[in-house]
Amino acid sequence: MSDIPISGGPHLAGSHPQEAIPHGPPPANRSSRLDAATLGMFLFIASEAMLFGAFFTAYFFVRVVNPTATETWPPAPFEFPVFVAGVNTAILVTSSFTIHWATQAIKRNDRNGLRAGLVVTILLGSAFLLTQAIEYAHVGFNTGDGAFASVFFGLTGLHGAHVFVGLSLLTIAAVRAFRGHFSAEHHHGVEIPGIYWHFVDVMWIIVFFAVYVL
Amino acid sequence: MTSTTEPHSQHGLRPGDPPPRRRGIFMRPGYLRASWVTPLFFLIGMYIVVALRALAGWDPVYDWEYIVLIAGMVTAPIGFLLGMGVFDYWLYWISGRPTVADDHASHGAYSWKDYFKVNTDHKVIGIQYLVTTFFFFVAGGFLAMLFRAELAEPGMQFFDTQTFNGLVSAHATLMIFVFIIPAFAGLANFAVPLMLGAPDMAFPRLNALSFWMLPVAGALFLASFLAPGGAFATGWTSYAPLASEQPFGQVFFNMGVQWAGASSIATALNFLVTIITMRAPGMTFWRMPLLVWANFTTSLLVVIATPFIAGSQFFVMFDRVMHTSFFTPDNGGYVLGYQHIFWFYSHPAVYIMVLPGFGIISEVISVFSRKPIFGYRLMAVSLIGILVLAFSVWAHHMFVAGMADWLRIPMMISTLLIAVPTGIKVFSWLATLWEGKLHLSTPMLFALGFISTFVIGGLSGVYVASVPIDIHASDTYFVVAHIHYVLFGGSVFTIFAGLYYWFPKMTGRMFDERLGKLHFWLTFVTFNLTFFPMHWLGLDGMPRRVADYAGTYGALNMVVSIGSFVLGASVVIFAYNIVVSWARGPVAESNPWKAMTIEWQVSSPPPVFNFDEIPQVVGGPYEYGVPGARHAVLRGGALQEAHA
Repeated sequence: MSDIPISGGPHLAGSHPQEAIPHGPPPANRSSRLDAATLGMFLFIASEAMLFGAFFTAYFFVRVVNPTATETWPPAPFEFPVFVAGVNTAILVTSSFTIHWATQAIKRNDRNGLRAGLVVTILLGSAFLLTQAIEYAHVGFNTGDGAFASVFFGLTGLHGAHVFVGLSLLTIAAVRAFRGHFSAEHHHGVEIPGIYWHFVDVMWIIVFFAVYVL
Repeated sequence: MTSTTEPHSQHGLRPGDPPPRRRGIFMRPGYLRASWVTPLFFLIGMYIVVALRALAGWDPVYDWEYIVLIAGMVTAPIGFLLGMGVFDYWLYWISGRPTVADDHASHGAYSWKDYFKVNTDHKVIGIQYLVTTFFFFVAGGFLAMLFRAELAEPGMQFFDTQTFNGLVSAHATLMIFVFIIPAFAGLANFAVPLMLGAPDMAFPRLNALSFWMLPVAGALFLASFLAPGGAFATGWTSYAPLASEQPFGQVFFNMGVQWAGASSIATALNFLVTIITMRAPGMTFWRMPLLVWANFTTSLLVVIATPFIAGSQFFVMFDRVMHTSFFTPDNGGYVLGYQHIFWFYSHPAVYIMVLPGFGIISEVISVFSRKPIFGYRLMAVSLIGILVLAFSVWAHHMFVAGMADWLRIPMMISTLLIAVPTGIKVFSWLATLWEGKLHLSTPMLFALGFISTFVIGGLSGVYVASVPIDIHASDTYFVVAHIHYVLFGGSVFTIFAGLYYWFPKMTGRMFDERLGKLHFWLTFVTFNLTFFPMHWLGLDGMPRRVADYAGTYGALNMVVSIGSFVLGASVVIFAYNIVVSWARGPVAESNPWKAMTIEWQVSSPPPVFNFDEIPQVVGGPYEYGVPGARHAVLRGGALQEAHA
């Protein structure tokens, strides 16, 4: 990108009669107490939950419905690293508390608390992803080793992708936090990624129980 | 997304800041920038693949299938969007650089060239959607005429079987994913914010992104013809495990659906937030026009169901490129799982493809009958009924697939139940027409044509919903006839009705009524000529999706093929009428149909920001012929009272 400090405007300045735009739009009537951006995030999460739903459906078919499903899960001689995943669960659950700490801090106008909370959350999330990558490398089977492996990599991989998206959103929030944005009145940019992060966390608990524990 | 809620003072351009410098032509958002960012992102994607393969020690390092998949179908399209400038604002925002939250430089169209740029105005985006989808409509129709030429006579004439299957598959895919679904999104994009009395959609930049993902999807579908082994050839349903064993063209389908689905979900989310949070004062849910109701329910369907087709296509693709075995039986996979997951989206998808049409027809029928719509509340409630039932019927596509027997009867009953809310709508339209003062102009003709053809499609739907008949008719031309009566006689007729209805509002010009009527009659007659004989062919046992057939079916197939060519030609009349009227048609008044909904109370075309002041809604939207009734009051000029 270039270093021009305003988006959109300059490239059209020559070709457009700027004076033809008399003013901005009238503010829209607010017909709901719900905030538009927050509602948008909740709808997005609903859609994401359904994507997980599709993957859980595949899990259900492979493990329950399929007449050739094996007695044990995973089929011998394979094993899932339950302990490592349990540690990872603890890491991710902790990160939900730290992001909550960050959003509570900015509501009190405590910017240092916000920054610290974001940094710790990002570190925990990265630790989770790194652990997952190492787990993949040492898990002892590959995607081609049967339907149980497809489901394992499908669900944990889909979740890992969501952790990555959540981390990206939090990194954006952190960049802006360190640039001095956000205040007690205006902290959508932290709160909304925070909602997403909680969703990613809750989703992991379901994935963890479905894949590793049950 | 969150940008509009941030105050300017925090990170906007402050007074006294240096004026922004002008960027060079290769750095400004647009095709020139896209022309180098797209290849750059292709290279980035390519070397990600190459680096990973080299690290893992896989041979060959340059595996073109993976490179085309990652670089060609993921990173290069992102580069294209980046080059066009879809992400510019967000990139400034996320890096904490100054932005102006309500920057309107890319808002509104002042010349035809503006329609080819990224624009955040919902009216411009609506027209961009419609023109783009019309292009794919023509492309898909052309493919249909190619395989109808093959099918005109028994025996093999022009194509081999794989090419034939590719043509059929690409025809259906283009029509469904990049014509019907997004064409409705385009019409709604234009009309819904105006009808709500809102200045724009809730997230204008997300709206632009939704649109620009669509050409990517269409380009992928079309590009599959260039793949070695030809286009994807497993039908638009792409059943596993066949689809995971096909030539590489199949992956173009898997990924194109992801782009189209992402576009669809983003638009639906935008509609829902707009409808919930941006209605004008007085616009309660029970005063919303039925088009808004229809898009509200459709958007709920899209947000909830579309992730399932995304999942199903990911699984098929993983089975192919990552050697997983979601649907490969010999390795613990469950073959029927694909059909369950696919139809859990794709049956609701047929309502995604027809509910917005119901909304359009409700508008048109009421306006051109000069009567209040019959049973307004029940019309809205029946939409919700269809929404709920839509999720309980998917397995009626699988009666012959070998699924669990106990699922058959419940699925048959819930499918038959859908005829109830749908019937409520049809009878309400008829009751609205009853003793109305009918004006048979082009939109109304298409609406009436829709009712008659859709009822035929609905009835054949009741036939194939019953297990015994379905077992007989499955995989025959009866099913082809049914789906075309529902999706062409249903959806496409409503799209034409909507296009003619809002054409004066979109362009400020009137279309040629005589050509419009000619277009309708030609379409209506040749549509029935093309698709009605397929009922007989199917009941006689002619299988669908086969390039050749027994000689006894020859005569009817010739009729069908001739009908389809004339049907294709009728689109030329439509295109001519639209293009010439847009350029030189007589200037349209603001309310040529004397309608009451808000979009007709502003100028044609509407001002850039729709309203000087948000309108006040004071009554229902369809009170035609009711003395003194008003829907909305606008400042200055106020509302013209609609006369019966």
